[in-house]
Amino acid sequence: MHVLEHFYLEVIVPIEVFGIDLSITNLTLSMFAAAAIFLILLIILAIKPKVTPGKRQIVIELLLTFIKRNIVYNMIGKKEGKNWIPFISGIFVFVLANNLIGLIPGAYTPTLNPMVPITLALIVFVIVQITNLRKHGIKGLVRTLAPSSVPSWMYVIVVPIETISMISKPFSLFVRLMANMLAGHTIIIVLYGLILYFKSYFIAIPIVPFALIMNLFELFVSAIQAYIFAILSAMYIGEAVKPKH
Amino acid sequence: MDPKAAAMLAAGIAMGIGAIGPGIGIGNLVGKALEGIARQPEAAGQIQTVMFIGIAFTEAIALYALVVAFMLIFVA
Repeated sequence: MHVLEHFYLEVIVPIEVFGIDLSITNLTLSMFAAAAIFLILLIILAIKPKVTPGKRQIVIELLLTFIKRNIVYNMIGKKEGKNWIPFISGIFVFVLANNLIGLIPGAYTPTLNPMVPITLALIVFVIVQITNLRKHGIKGLVRTLAPSSVPSWMYVIVVPIETISMISKPFSLFVRLMANMLAGHTIIIVLYGLILYFKSYFIAIPIVPFALIMNLFELFVSAIQAYIFAILSAMYIGEAVKPKH
Repeated sequence: MDPKAAAMLAAGIAMGIGAIGPGIGIGNLVGKALEGIARQPEAAGQIQTVMFIGIAFTEAIALYALVVAFMLIFVA
């Protein structure tokens, strides 16, 4: 047994279209399962909305109000934030679903593979740049890289630094999500692996409760990472939306 | 020294030293946030939001060390 056993992909249904590998692996299966479960859950919760919310409706209203108040209005502002609620809540729920599906034994965590967080971070990056261009034009992009509050001779230093910081934003977004998920699941696998390593059932007596605690901690980390991914995306969008000076 | 053994040793040292800074940072951050909340409990929500963002940025440094350690073990 390998320490990173849960990292490697297995092809289940090989599909190849024009030389591009589009096989269905255990990652895509887990992702489909996560999306389907959350979609059905949200539809069940939101069906037949009433003015006075019942038991089902109050859950989804709590979730949406949390995203609206704590993430979007806090980071983007009330006026501009209205248009961004669907996008931010979509990102939040998708990342949360993908983080949580990995806690089911046997399922693959999609956010643990570098490709899924890279795609999400690139989506956020492209959307931030497009918003900046649409709101402020070319001048907005130039002002992001070369702020007008800096004296002109400093541009030699400031422009490279700002360029690096612009590129490092999606990179850190991607590494944070991936490394958090990878580290947590590796710790749980290493803990259970100790039982096989020592070849003794007595070692399971301290290991299993500790692994259970780590699992509960992973539940917490999954929610926190989804929250942080959503709030940082909202923060970057808020920076692009706000007027430049 | 065998290169593989050196890489293993380097991975352990990188993770160990890389976790010191973020540990101190997160401790400081949460302590100060707690002080702020104790002083002004009505601002707890806002302070918590900023605290979580700060923790995310600080924690990322330890996770970079983790990625480097994994690369040393499995790629080098």
